[in-house]
Amino acid sequence: MSDVSVRATRQAVEEARLARQRSFRRPQRTVDATRATKDGLGGRHLGFGLTLSSGFIALFLLWRFAMQWDSYPTPVPTLAAWIILLLATVATLVLLQRLSNRMPTWLFLAVLATGEIVVGLDLAGYGSGDPTVFPTAAAAVGALFTALVTVRRGREVVAATLVLGAVVAAGSLTAARTDPFIWAPAILTISLCVCPPLIGVSVVRTFRRMVQRELDLVLVQSTVSQPSSAVGMLASEELARIDLDAETLLDDVATGRTALPLSPAKSAAAASLATQLRLHLIEGRRETWLHHALTESEFLGPAVNLDDPAGLAGLLSSAQRDALLLAIWLLISDTDAAEPTVSLVLGPLGRSKGLAIGEMLRFPIQMVIEGVPRRRVDPETWQAIRVVGPHIDTVRSGLLHVDIECSIDNPADA
Amino acid sequence: MPRIAKERDRLLRRTARVTGFAASATTLAFLAIPGGLAVSVILVVVPMVLLLFVCQYLVGQNGAIRWVLPIVLLGNAIVLIVAFTSTVGLGLNVVEEAVIGCVAAAAVSSVAPVLVVGPRRQVLLAAAFGLTLACVALVTVSANGSVLPIALTVCGWAALSLGGWWIAESVPRVLHRIAAIGRAHQAERHASELEAQRRQGARLLHDTVLATLTLLAHSGVGVSPAALRQQSADDARLLRLLRLGGLPTPSRSGVYTLEPATSSMLGSTLESVKQRFGRMGLDVDWHGSGQVLLPSDVLDSFLLALGECLENVRRHSGVTRADVTISDDDTTVRAMVTDAGKGFDISAVGTERLGFAESVVARLRDVGGTARLFSSPGSGTTVVLEVPK
Repeated sequence: MSDVSVRATRQAVEEARLARQRSFRRPQRTVDATRATKDGLGGRHLGFGLTLSSGFIALFLLWRFAMQWDSYPTPVPTLAAWIILLLATVATLVLLQRLSNRMPTWLFLAVLATGEIVVGLDLAGYGSGDPTVFPTAAAAVGALFTALVTVRRGREVVAATLVLGAVVAAGSLTAARTDPFIWAPAILTISLCVCPPLIGVSVVRTFRRMVQRELDLVLVQSTVSQPSSAVGMLASEELARIDLDAETLLDDVATGRTALPLSPAKSAAAASLATQLRLHLIEGRRETWLHHALTESEFLGPAVNLDDPAGLAGLLSSAQRDALLLAIWLLISDTDAAEPTVSLVLGPLGRSKGLAIGEMLRFPIQMVIEGVPRRRVDPETWQAIRVVGPHIDTVRSGLLHVDIECSIDNPADA
Repeated sequence: MPRIAKERDRLLRRTARVTGFAASATTLAFLAIPGGLAVSVILVVVPMVLLLFVCQYLVGQNGAIRWVLPIVLLGNAIVLIVAFTSTVGLGLNVVEEAVIGCVAAAAVSSVAPVLVVGPRRQVLLAAAFGLTLACVALVTVSANGSVLPIALTVCGWAALSLGGWWIAESVPRVLHRIAAIGRAHQAERHASELEAQRRQGARLLHDTVLATLTLLAHSGVGVSPAALRQQSADDARLLRLLRLGGLPTPSRSGVYTLEPATSSMLGSTLESVKQRFGRMGLDVDWHGSGQVLLPSDVLDSFLLALGECLENVRRHSGVTRADVTISDDDTTVRAMVTDAGKGFDISAVGTERLGFAESVVARLRDVGGTARLFSSPGSGTTVVLEVPK
């Protein structure tokens, strides 16, 4: 293949990916089935753990508060700050359990306001005293904010944390201290304050991405048990919608809501409904499970090009289907590199006439993988590919080619 | 199960990396404080911190023990170097304390999340913690410093070990719940497919709906408004029944039945086709036998093809009357649709333009039938449809 044609192919693949990303839509049934749980999926458990973990940081700060007790001009405001912080944390955790992981904005703002009160009290307390005294409760507000990482958007928590860090920094550094050594405890305080929530946000982001991918996979894995060709959820919904539109239109005509003869706009609507209905009924729009899996997947859809004119994917056994889907999914999702693509060509079917009874039908599956070097392909992927059939893999012009030889039961024997 | 473990380890690695990066960056900030550490010490420690970054990045890539060990050793080396190059006799200054605390409590302990799973790794976790604590205690005692670095080290390791362990617990929990959602979704998919098949199976119904929609698309020209309203009301009612879960079939004189029959009587259904075209102003005369039993899919295709032929007559022939002759033998049912209209030159018009190939031929071919078309200008049109019994 020449360089020019490789580039042209890549560009075409890229355009196809963008088009599919834009047009991606999940079936309504799928949305309904997952919506109830998706937002809080595993979040409560994780959030509690992260809060507990950052509690140790707060514990350290509390110990430090105890150590510098004698150095305060008066420790009362800081003590009050700690008590408020403790109560606020307990109240937040209890409310979060009650509110099923959806934190309303008023509560979020209330927690932020409480945090600011704590900071204010703490900074007022240590004021102009001993230069070795540093904010404690104010920095521990970071632990309180960590409790919010699973229930609010990451960037909201990050913004709140950065503001908190800036206030604590201002408080630590503005006191009349000329000794640059004093920066060390200040930096320590600031990082103890901002790191737990920021790390928490990062963990939760990775966690959510994992949950989304897994969810995407299990949702399309249900296609594996389909018959060799099926209408698919999207087309099914489309047909139901067209039927409903037609019913509404006909009902309007019948009851006289729409006057006869029809306006040009209405007759155009009727014509387009008739065309869509014909397409859905007469063509017998049925596709293989693999086509449905790819079109219904947010991750696979944009990244996989499927060429299966004869619908051979539908002939694969359910173990082969499962393995093929898993192999593609592992190739796409198991990489840090940006956006790999997989091209799949199924067929042509080998000799199909004159086979003895019980003899298997054979056809090749050609996978061309771009963006995943061979050494980064997971052993589990190869294992899955072996389930589909014996394979040969080669690297040509930077692309990994995997040629699988599929054997399937002859449908004529059944 | 192996995938769950993989996802869990990936999350733990990322946690270790981001924590390590934050800690190493903070350490560099301490080193930048003027006068905190001797320049020669800084020149040694900064490359070591950069090496820490590299190892932390690699731990984030694969979580291998061979990148964990250098982090632990490098970190403790930094602790010892900073402490033992400190000015003798004055104890540790606050910058040195901060560097030691930060490295021991966060930069080294960042490996904790990748060591929480599995007994061998847990032993390593305990050993790494023990070593770090011992180093920090040693330098604190020997320099007679404050206990701040020790307290910070204990808290940091506790926070990261607990955090990592908790994350490791969270992942299988959530993945099991996702698997449950997947099973529920499989049922949804099955239901959706049945729904689609039910709707696609209601061919006779869609046939009359399509005919009515086509009439409306032509603004109902040539049909009396009353008849069109009547037809629309019938079809809307059928669609409503379909939507509510039935399998309605249009039949004689406005009586609708919900029949999942495997075979239907041809006679009664022919009557409904006749009624429909009657309302649209095309009189259809039936000839021949009226009681033929056909499998329902064949019947649907046959009636659809017949309806399409009559629709063509109504729209193109210029006459208001068509004859349909039904005959059958042992294997085949045959319908001949004849009109005395203006006809056309088949070779000039092309059957595709009439939608004939798509709507009639294809539909019949699905059930093993055929269609033939005869016409010439001025002498009407005849279509012969055949389906197997």
